[in-house]
Amino acid sequence: MKNHFSFSKSSRRDLLRAGMCGVCVSAGAGLPVRVFGQAAAALAAQGNVDGKILVVLELSGGNDGLNTLVPYGDDAYYKHRPNLGIPKKEIRVIDEHFGFSGGMAGFERLYKDGKLAIVHGCGYENPSFSHFTSMAYWHTAAPNSGEEYGWVGRLADAMAPQAPPNYIVNVGARQSLAVRSRKHVPVVFDDPNKFTQEKFYEERPILESLPEHGQIDNPARRFLLDTAKSAKDASALVREAWSKYHSPIDYGIAGLDLPKVVALIDAGMPTRLYYTSYRNNAFDTHVFQGDVHKRLLTYASDAVFAFMRDLERIKRADDVVVMVFSEFGRRVPENVNLGTDHGTANLMFVVGNKVKGGHYGQVPSLTKLDAGDNLIYTTDFRRVYGTMISGWLGYRDAHSLLNGDFQTFDVFRA
Amino acid sequence: MLRNLPIGLVLVAVAAGALAQANGPASWQNDLTPIGAKDWNYDFAEHLLQRVGFGGTPEEIQALAKLTPQQAVARMVRFEGAPAANLAPFDEDAIHDPGLEPFPPSRPAVTDLAKQKGEALGIKVKPTGNRRLQPVVDEFFYWLRASALETNRVAYWWANRMVDSPRPLQEKMALFWHGHFVSNEAKVRDYRKLLAQLELFQTQGLGNFKDLTVAVAQGPAMLSFLDAGVNVKGASNENFAREIMELFTMGVGNYTEKDIREAARAFTGWNFEDLKFVVNKDQHDDGEKTFLGRTGRFDGVNVIDIIMQQPVTADFIAGKIYRYFVRQDLSPELQKKLGAVLRENKYEIKPLLEAIFLSRDFYSPASVGTRIYSPVELAVSTYKKLGLKSIPGVPDFNSVTGALGQQLFAPPTVAGWAQGQAWITPGLLLERANFVRDVLFPDIGFLPPDRYTGGGEVRRVAQRVREGMDISTATQDETKDGERAESNKNADRDEEFNTRYGSFRGSQLAIERVTPIPRETAQVNLSRTVRDAKLKTTAEVVDYFIHRFMSVPPSTDARQKLVAFLDRDLGTSDISVAQTYMEQSLRLVLHLIMSQPEYQLG
Repeated sequence: MKNHFSFSKSSRRDLLRAGMCGVCVSAGAGLPVRVFGQAAAALAAQGNVDGKILVVLELSGGNDGLNTLVPYGDDAYYKHRPNLGIPKKEIRVIDEHFGFSGGMAGFERLYKDGKLAIVHGCGYENPSFSHFTSMAYWHTAAPNSGEEYGWVGRLADAMAPQAPPNYIVNVGARQSLAVRSRKHVPVVFDDPNKFTQEKFYEERPILESLPEHGQIDNPARRFLLDTAKSAKDASALVREAWSKYHSPIDYGIAGLDLPKVVALIDAGMPTRLYYTSYRNNAFDTHVFQGDVHKRLLTYASDAVFAFMRDLERIKRADDVVVMVFSEFGRRVPENVNLGTDHGTANLMFVVGNKVKGGHYGQVPSLTKLDAGDNLIYTTDFRRVYGTMISGWLGYRDAHSLLNGDFQTFDVFRA
Repeated sequence: MLRNLPIGLVLVAVAAGALAQANGPASWQNDLTPIGAKDWNYDFAEHLLQRVGFGGTPEEIQALAKLTPQQAVARMVRFEGAPAANLAPFDEDAIHDPGLEPFPPSRPAVTDLAKQKGEALGIKVKPTGNRRLQPVVDEFFYWLRASALETNRVAYWWANRMVDSPRPLQEKMALFWHGHFVSNEAKVRDYRKLLAQLELFQTQGLGNFKDLTVAVAQGPAMLSFLDAGVNVKGASNENFAREIMELFTMGVGNYTEKDIREAARAFTGWNFEDLKFVVNKDQHDDGEKTFLGRTGRFDGVNVIDIIMQQPVTADFIAGKIYRYFVRQDLSPELQKKLGAVLRENKYEIKPLLEAIFLSRDFYSPASVGTRIYSPVELAVSTYKKLGLKSIPGVPDFNSVTGALGQQLFAPPTVAGWAQGQAWITPGLLLERANFVRDVLFPDIGFLPPDRYTGGGEVRRVAQRVREGMDISTATQDETKDGERAESNKNADRDEEFNTRYGSFRGSQLAIERVTPIPRETAQVNLSRTVRDAKLKTTAEVVDYFIHRFMSVPPSTDARQKLVAFLDRDLGTSDISVAQTYMEQSLRLVLHLIMSQPEYQLG
């Protein structure tokens, strides 16, 4: 990944004038800002950052977990999937029972290096087979309920009730429901090079200040003004971070948005919660899924592996954990179109230097399926969320965030 | 009252009084009673034109304001008294070849077919020599690129109708259906199917919802997008049946998984051959099904009939139409009332729209100036309010709307585009202002994306091939330090064909055969607008622009800063002094106005 944006002296000065004024005020110092890193550090201190960062990676569309981590040791797998079942010789065997899809060299390495935890059978009671409904359940951590805010958003509200700017970053074309927060306005952008208000010299005084406004009754207007403030707080930081980012690491063909996350971490953004996705329902493989699915997994695996290497390069690999999920798995038997239909329980992955690699949770049975030929879940997915919340980020009251007690996994090294 | 005065004076008079747009009393919210003729005014006419279409110039708004509300709505919905729409059909390029049908689902499927049969896509495999399958792979990528480029031309054609049609509701409703009965080019990969579907939306989008649902379900775009063609007897594919119920008609929670499986059986055998709908009788499951409590040997049309008999279907679709045209928050009571209107009218769309557009609720404070424009609406209405009759080629309409999250024929998922606040993120809010800048100050370094196509990789390969490199070397990816990603290793593999070279050749062939999009810039003359409106001071100019271009004005503080800016940039607050040199300053101040967060509301 390369970006070719060059940064001139004058635009750097403008950046300090433009973007950093918000930072000065928030930092409460009123001191002239000298370097980017210091300002960010001041902000970070206010946000009580101990350095730990969670990155959530969503595989949208319903990833076929059975063809991701293939249970080649189970004959039932090949019975259910006479055509789509991946033969042992084509997979990357990791133990006597499982192997990764052929292109997932990155995940294989992470697993063998002991940095990849596989959590089996993740799902919930009364599963929905609708992408949008099930994804909303995962986003809100509230299956079969109408929770309005996302679990990442609620986590931010709980961890940083003062809502310092730039606490949540969601790289994407859209804001995910997962980051929807009562107090925070998440920083949402797609292309960092375009995350800027382009302006002529004489327009600066107006475009670089936020006008006064009195009482606002129109909720849509209020929302737009809040968003404008968040954009002002973040855009200069993001753009500078991206312009400085030059990595030699090969992220592969898709790369996802993970290089952008590294750029921000390297620049000292005070962000503790990052949210990204493999977009546009890509994993919805109803027909002829073999080649397509393998390719998607290769891209995702390349990107996550490169991300960890990139974090090593900037010496922040100990501070970051990636959690990977999908809104559901797929039907156990293949369909006649060499694809698979919407299913239920699925794998989750937790990746990081501080992760104790291995298998967690109970592997769902391939012979005792539900009435619709689906896996019966063995792990409530909120157990994994709870593990991230208290085990990794150290926020103790996961109970009230998740509206229940969910036993965590002992998945992190000291 | 104000009706007989020149428009410029009307606007100044309105602006001088209060910048806030007039709307009805708060008690009008949720009230479906039609508004009275005495309530009707210029601001209501502006609101109507904005919501029913894509806004308009003061002259167009004034023409509506002169009618009664009933006449205005009849003109917009039933085209009574509207000028005839003489809009040219889409001018198709001759880029499709019958040999391309049926187009295989992926590049590996094409090369497998070629290996088996010795030909694919109408192209024979070379008998001997190097890269024997290369011409087949080139043809595969040719059609992918050509269809995508032609789809961009269709999008331009459609956007031009939005900006120029005297019947804007036709296009606004087609846009609704496009986001409702979703399909996209990336999956369908055939502009002809998408064009046929769009023409259906344009011609029947204001007709009957049931008829439209059947026509869409039997259209090749939808059949292809939702894999209906592979739903066969004995092994049904649920995608089509599920989305028809969940997204198109009833909404989630109103049927069981069993209903989905039974409906899928009823749809078995539905398929398309090229652009034709066909039912493959031997693949159709003619057995008995039990669906939503009814039992019979149902086919797909029977299933749609039964869906239409569910009260929830009318509520669902009426509510979605209301949210699209009026506002996001809709009480369950109001939704039921709207559903009843649709049911009473046997799913005819026009009576529902008339009820909505005439209602007091539509003109209540909860509805007026509270809706965030979609990207397509933002772009089209910006052009319309500037008085343009066609969509400029610079900036590229498809790139702009794509960057803002609503490229035509490219909805992100089968759920279409989320509306309302989902259109806005911090990044997108800034990009919206940047779009306006690109209109008022076109980039003289603009490169047309339909010529400079295919991304950096294609251009890199093209350059190296021109330099005389062999294909293997030319298609190597950029050198990285150390370890290479698995996907890049695979892409470089030299086989009987080279994918990257095919991608380059396909792009080259497509560019040759698809007509370029014209690239004129917007013809804007703000000085003339200011002169015609007889504006005398910078404050009048700012107020006129605010009223002409914004539905919700910015704060008093913002307005004062804008006036001060214009004073400073012109060196005077007296327009008569600045007559000869004011264009640049007027564009700057308009850019600033359109950069206000409130510009997104209408």
